[in-house]
Amino acid sequence: MSTEAALRDRCRALLQSGEVALVVGYRAARTGGNCTPAFVTGPDQAELLVLDKTCHHNLAAYLPGLRHKGRVAVVSTGPTSRSIVNLLKENQFDRKDLHIIGVPDPSSAPASNVRNAVLFDEFIGDKADEPAPAPDQDLAAFEAKTPAERWEILFADLSNCIRCYACRQVCPNCYCPTCFVDASRPQRVGRTPDRSDTIMFHVMRAMHMAGRCVECGACARACPMGIDLMVINRKVAAIVRDRFGHVSGMSLDDPLPLTTFTPEDGQEFIE
Amino acid sequence: MTARLLPKKDLPGFIAALAKKQEVWAPVRIQSQEAARFSRIDRPEDICLDYLNTKLPVKELFFPQREVMFTFNPGERSSAQASAQVRERVVLGVRPCDAAALELFDKVFVDESKTASPLAESKTAGPLADPYYKERRDKTTLIGLACNAPGQACFCTATDGGPHSTRGLDLLLIDLGDRFLARPVTAKGEALAKGLARAKDKDISLADELAEEARATMDFAIELKQLQKSLDKAFDHEVWHRLSLPCVNCGVCTYVCPACHCFDVTDEEYKDSGARIRTWDSCQFSLFTRHASGHNPRPDGMSRMRNRTLHKFCYFPKTQDKVLCVGCGRCITECPAGIDLRETLETLRDTLS
Ligand code: SF4
Ligand code: SF4
Ligand code: SF4
Ligand code: SF4
Repeated sequence: MSTEAALRDRCRALLQSGEVALVVGYRAARTGGNCTPAFVTGPDQAELLVLDKTCHHNLAAYLPGLRHKGRVAVVSTGPTSRSIVNLLKENQFDRKDLHIIGVPDPSSAPASNVRNAVLFDEFIGDKADEPAPAPDQDLAAFEAKTPAERWEILFADLSNCIRCYACRQVCPNCYCPTCFVDASRPQRVGRTPDRSDTIMFHVMRAMHMAGRCVECGACARACPMGIDLMVINRKVAAIVRDRFGHVSGMSLDDPLPLTTFTPEDGQEFIE
Repeated sequence: MTARLLPKKDLPGFIAALAKKQEVWAPVRIQSQEAARFSRIDRPEDICLDYLNTKLPVKELFFPQREVMFTFNPGERSSAQASAQVRERVVLGVRPCDAAALELFDKVFVDESKTASPLAESKTAGPLADPYYKERRDKTTLIGLACNAPGQACFCTATDGGPHSTRGLDLLLIDLGDRFLARPVTAKGEALAKGLARAKDKDISLADELAEEARATMDFAIELKQLQKSLDKAFDHEVWHRLSLPCVNCGVCTYVCPACHCFDVTDEEYKDSGARIRTWDSCQFSLFTRHASGHNPRPDGMSRMRNRTLHKFCYFPKTQDKVLCVGCGRCITECPAGIDLRETLETLRDTLS
């Protein structure tokens, strides 16, 4: 039986028995093209579920909105499961209300990511080979430039930003009840695509991603203006890896680097 | 009006001649990307004419995302004035859907039936209109580019338009291979095409065939009047909960929409000076309806998604007799959650009827 067929059977059973009220997975889009998130509430709709190489939404982003709405099953690829690990550690979802169906990531995951779910209640399908750790050449090329050149690249790219916040809305980490850019009493950041305000948004968001971003790439794929947000996210993740030896979302037991003090933390900023 | 011919090899010359008298705007490729966006043209070779549709609709030239309405400085009297001094301009390469959407914008921003009290500065009373929008609109001539190959997400034929529709345009160019057929729609358009050779009957019939072929590729149809009636009674229907589940409430569908026109006004201040700024806003954001008290009448994603749908297909047609959608398909291709408006409308039709 294909992984997809096994997944449908299992989800049908979970819904039939009432173990879960909802399955969040993937389904085909009307016009073909990439799969879209699916919300399946009845056993008869389990047929809709699809697992193919276009399944790359990070479904964990929907969890904060599904709190206290019954038990939820989530079809979890490597990146989705890493984000779930983070949401659980940040107390954003009750583990009891969650049934994690691990699957191997059928999409071509970026080299920096893991393909198989890292946390699951059950795993469906055969585990995929994890990509061998490879040096991040894009990031290395970016880092090789002078600070002025790097600013220029970021400025040029971010000047296309239309402040639609799709990047923020699809990110599982962005669950703040009021984002700092939406604060209106007082307003902290201008609301137009003025370049300094736009850069303020992206710099602040990058700071808030430190130690939390799982490099799933959902934000960059969501961006209608084709902005390369991953160069920022990968740089931030690399800094956290180098300084704290922390890779985000890999285990429930790793302490969160930015909220945990250890005497070994670098302190050279104290003069 | 007389249809004329513009050989493609003469296009650069045609544009250069236009540019002598006014600004020329047209789609230009966004740096290192497939996508194109309307920009001011300095050299005819920068124009990109092989695009399905521009990333952002032509609305941004009439209703910019950031508009300085006026500035204020101590000791100075402020006056309402469009931020950029708008010059006479021709916009080339406007798709029929985008042009049709400007007619919808006119309904919102200009009301010919009412008279505005004259501003102290201008003395003359005109129609009740948004001065920033109206000035740009009055100074612009629109040259359309007909669609011979509509995209997978296009459905303009369902919203009173068509791939060769001339609604809202001054002149329409139709690609006939090595030449364009230039179809004037208004006197302004006719004036632009005046110097061109007359089209032959066979050119006109070829253009008509292409229009038919393009239409035939578009299969989405829906009874919008009927839908409007059902939507009018569907505010509390459970279907909205189901439909809105995948929506992440970003600003994409409204910002890329040629018909969406909602805005916010904020002040940006520095020391004693500042500017009052109008900027695009989206009904998909929670801030859109949040009151000063903190109360929000549209507190969740469902109510915001419902509002977008009802505004386009129920409220706006009720008052203006047209749906607030021209079927450009941008919200479909750009939605990060893969939501297809056509599927939403079909589900609503099937559920509510
Ligand atoms: S910032 Fe982007 S890459 Fe990182 S977790 Fe959020 S969506 Fe994924
Ligand atoms: S998704 Fe892209 S355009 Fe929208 S706010 Fe994010 S970076 Fe800007
Ligand atoms: S673009 Fe899609 S996800 Fe974003 S608000 Fe519109 S329908 Fe919702
Ligand atoms: S609602 Fe969607 S299809 Fe209709 S005009 Fe707006 S962006 Fe285009």
